[in-house]
Amino acid sequence: MASSQIVRNRMKSVKSIQKITKAMKMVAASKLRGVQVKAENSRGFWQPFVALLGDHPDIESKKNVILTISSDRGLCGGINSTSVKFSKAMFTLSASEEPAKYVILGEKGKVQLQRDSKKNIQMVVTDIQKMPINFTQISMIADEILKNVEFDTIKIIYNKFGSVVSFLPSVATIPSPEVIARESEAGGKLEQLESYEIEGGDSKAEVLQNLSEFQFAAMLFNASLENACSEQGARMSAMDSSTRNASEMLEKLTLKYNRSRQASITTELIEIISGAAALEAAS
Amino acid sequence: MVLSLRVMAPNRIVWNSEVGEIILSTNSGQIGILPNHAPLLTALDMGVSKIRSGGQWSAMASMGGFTMIDNNRVTILVNEAEVSDEIDLVEAQKDYEVAQMELAQAEGRKRKIEANLAFKRAKAGFYLLLDSNQ
Repeated sequence: MASSQIVRNRMKSVKSIQKITKAMKMVAASKLRGVQVKAENSRGFWQPFVALLGDHPDIESKKNVILTISSDRGLCGGINSTSVKFSKAMFTLSASEEPAKYVILGEKGKVQLQRDSKKNIQMVVTDIQKMPINFTQISMIADEILKNVEFDTIKIIYNKFGSVVSFLPSVATIPSPEVIARESEAGGKLEQLESYEIEGGDSKAEVLQNLSEFQFAAMLFNASLENACSEQGARMSAMDSSTRNASEMLEKLTLKYNRSRQASITTELIEIISGAAALEAAS
Repeated sequence: MVLSLRVMAPNRIVWNSEVGEIILSTNSGQIGILPNHAPLLTALDMGVSKIRSGGQWSAMASMGGFTMIDNNRVTILVNEAEVSDEIDLVEAQKDYEVAQMELAQAEGRKRKIEANLAFKRAKAGFYLLLDSNQ
């Protein structure tokens, strides 16, 4: 039988865990509200690109880069594992002559992918969420990636925010300017691009380059915001179930504590009474 | 026949309505857009674009972006944009003069580039107001 002291200590620690997880849930809920508005506003930003260029995850590409967006902090349910699983699947699917490369945003993704794909990781960016996500910051990250990574297509893998309980792993495909130029010739996937007059630069290639870079920044912006929303939503539900588990545990422990307390009281009573009875019998 | 114009920045929709005519400033000059324009895809420079809606001209300062025109639908995506009635004249003038001074004093390549960018922004904002106040 567990001593009542031990049970009481356990109860104290479970109670404080319950309080902490409850507070974390509230914090996640309030952060979610802020990021959700931004994410919804940013959805309109990439839609014209998709309207113009379409979404072609099956476009022909030799140098594939998989950009995994993950969170920096944990305790957010299964979203990071989902992203990593998805990324690994994309990696196997996009095998061509050259193996695909990973670019990772976020500490948790880096930790998980480093375990078995360390040699394929080209670039890692962490601590993005130290400041609220804004477009300038994302454009700089996009710039860095474009400077240091050669690619035919980049596949951004992120968790799209459906609602507080639904996060859908999604892929956004960004072709490089050369691929856009190649596919916009007759018979390619981007044929409709040819019907546009292209101005605003010294050459069509230059405009397409700017377009592709802008598209990348816009998609990355939206994907990061959606993933941040999903992170807060997942953390809310994880902390909520944690709080509920803690309450259940607390109830069971209380019952156990009471039983052990009553048992010890009964034992004392029996001793006293049998002692008294023995004295009476002796006298 | 009207053009349906949408101007979007990463964090908000700046303009979403029907207009009669648009004048854009690209890095190869200014382009006028009237209804039934051919499909066009162009890069926008940092500067002032003018929009005529219901007989009234409004001006908009934009910090670089892209324009797509198709079938009387104009979509302008910008890094940042401000419509003329949102800017304060005194502040814009001050920003412009400060940026001008900093550009003249900037040393070192990095600072020159930063000062140049800040100058272009302030200039766009300032000219925007000069235009709309005439």
